Amino acid sequence: MKNISLLTIIVLMSCEPFVSEFDDVSDAIMYEASSKTTADVPDKVKVVTWNIRFGIGRFPFFGDSCGDSVILDNQSIGRIMSAIADTLTAMDPDIVLLQEADVNSKRTGYMDQVQYLLDNTNLNYGCYGSMWKADYIMSDGIGRVDAGNAILSKFELTDAERIQLPLRGDQDPPIQYFYLRRNIVKAKIPELAIGASSLFAVNIHATAFATDDTKEQHINEYINTLAEIHDAGDYFVTGGDLNSVPPGAETDYCLSDMCDGDDYHTDDALNEHKEGSYFENFEGEPDILLPLYSAYDAAIDSSESGAQVNFTHAPSTSYAMNNIKYDRKLDYLFTNRMWIDSLSHTHQGPWELSDHMPVSAAIEMGVE
Amino acid sequence: MLSSETRFWDSHSAYLLPEKRIEVGVFQPLRYGHSDNLEYSVYPLWFFVMPNISIKKPTAALGNFNSAMRYSFMYPTPFLNMIAKSGLGGVISPDFQMPTMIGISGTWLLSSSFRGVDVTLSTGMDIGIVLGDLDSRSSIDLPLVYHRLGAYYNNWGMHTGIDLQKNIGSNISVLGDCDLRWLPGLDGDFSLEHKLLISWKKSDNFRVMTGYKFVMGEYPYGSDMRLLPYLPMAEMWVPMIELQWARNRK
Repeated sequence: MKNISLLTIIVLMSCEPFVSEFDDVSDAIMYEASSKTTADVPDKVKVVTWNIRFGIGRFPFFGDSCGDSVILDNQSIGRIMSAIADTLTAMDPDIVLLQEADVNSKRTGYMDQVQYLLDNTNLNYGCYGSMWKADYIMSDGIGRVDAGNAILSKFELTDAERIQLPLRGDQDPPIQYFYLRRNIVKAKIPELAIGASSLFAVNIHATAFATDDTKEQHINEYINTLAEIHDAGDYFVTGGDLNSVPPGAETDYCLSDMCDGDDYHTDDALNEHKEGSYFENFEGEPDILLPLYSAYDAAIDSSESGAQVNFTHAPSTSYAMNNIKYDRKLDYLFTNRMWIDSLSHTHQGPWELSDHMPVSAAIEMGVE
Repeated sequence: MLSSETRFWDSHSAYLLPEKRIEVGVFQPLRYGHSDNLEYSVYPLWFFVMPNISIKKPTAALGNFNSAMRYSFMYPTPFLNMIAKSGLGGVISPDFQMPTMIGISGTWLLSSSFRGVDVTLSTGMDIGIVLGDLDSRSSIDLPLVYHRLGAYYNNWGMHTGIDLQKNIGSNISVLGDCDLRWLPGLDGDFSLEHKLLISWKKSDNFRVMTGYKFVMGEYPYGSDMRLLPYLPMAEMWVPMIELQWARNRK
């Protein structure tokens, strides 16, 4: 009987899917630091959102810039991840919303970056949801990949969920099968409950390159997730890489993001606009974030979100090509409590560590 | 000069093909019995992008065991550079230019029969000669592939295995095997492969085989196991189908 059970386990394990697909809602993968630091419940809870671009800094990665490289050397990844950990330690956040963390990918030497950051910062707990998990991507030498979103916290996380977002609607099935599965990661932080209300952290990375209304579906799902928490009388701190510009911002970066040999906005152009650089793909896209700004408190107020000091992103090769470090805002923090105005910052100093820059803010605790 | 016992359809064993017999399969190499003491084999579909050749020669019997040595030579560089490219089909990152690599393997084969079961024991060594810089990040971290190319990254490796074959009817036989590859010092240093095939022989010139292959091992990303063949989009295992043909040259 034991032998049959063992054989069954081996057969099941050896038939694991080549590309992982996910239920609408599934458990997030839980992490703990190998050595925990003590953390008292603070008066103010500091939150950071950061798309760390899997620790490759401004490497000319083929997928999101004008570069054609795929695999960075392990030494550089180690140096960049160490600098990201040091930057987080200097910011001293209680909660970090992390996008584009690799946990077992060929392109980053199979480093578990979630575990690395827990082991090299004051953060103790983490939860993770894969955005892209495949045994092998036979394109551009990507190979094995497991990358996604994570929430890191000084305090224990519970009820951690990975909420699946719709797949891109503008791709053929074979491409879609091997492509990203964007998600929201949500977790409760019991030690930071405010009176009878729980505090949740919610992290999203919305689609960047869809040319149809997939992004609208992602933002709507995000709004619904936040509304559920709010309507239940609980609190949230949330944010991430929404891949959307703020209301009133420029919406067309095709020409500034254009690579050598590209052609946009002309009659001869294969595509009128560059994927990921144009923010009017569907009706209402320029104002897609208005419901969030209207319903909740933004760390960077909408009136200031178009200011250069609050830009959080530029494609990684823009600096080398056009001397541009950052030229748009794609990364946001919201809460259904109130951010402390003087503590909201866009940290453009570490611009070399990713093609996104972190945003931090803090909420007051203890007042219901 | 040593000569060997000859047999049909026994590529894994110490037995050589009879003189002037040719056998080929969809996944198996083309084998040619040059004489009773020399057999050649090549993978013809791969030959022009990955030149390869094996020869098998009998050696002195060891007790009840027939004995043979198989020497293999392979030059995978052209094929690896074909798949080191941008876009779809880019199995290796275009960041890497694969250097000249030559693989040499030597395998000692011992075959005998016990109570109607044909047993073959094999053991050998793989040498990977690399003329230039081979970046360890250019490895193909997939079952079956990683450890076969591992000798180039590790410069050497060892392999050993056992094959058992039994006729269970006049035209039906079962073949089971287990092979260990060990590459001491490599990140992901071993793989264990097992296959089970049932074959039906229509004649001395054609047979069909079906079964599975199971692979487990250590890889740079950790332990892994897989039942093959596996269809990614359907997310299911399907039986392996192998067709083999033979003829005798006059």
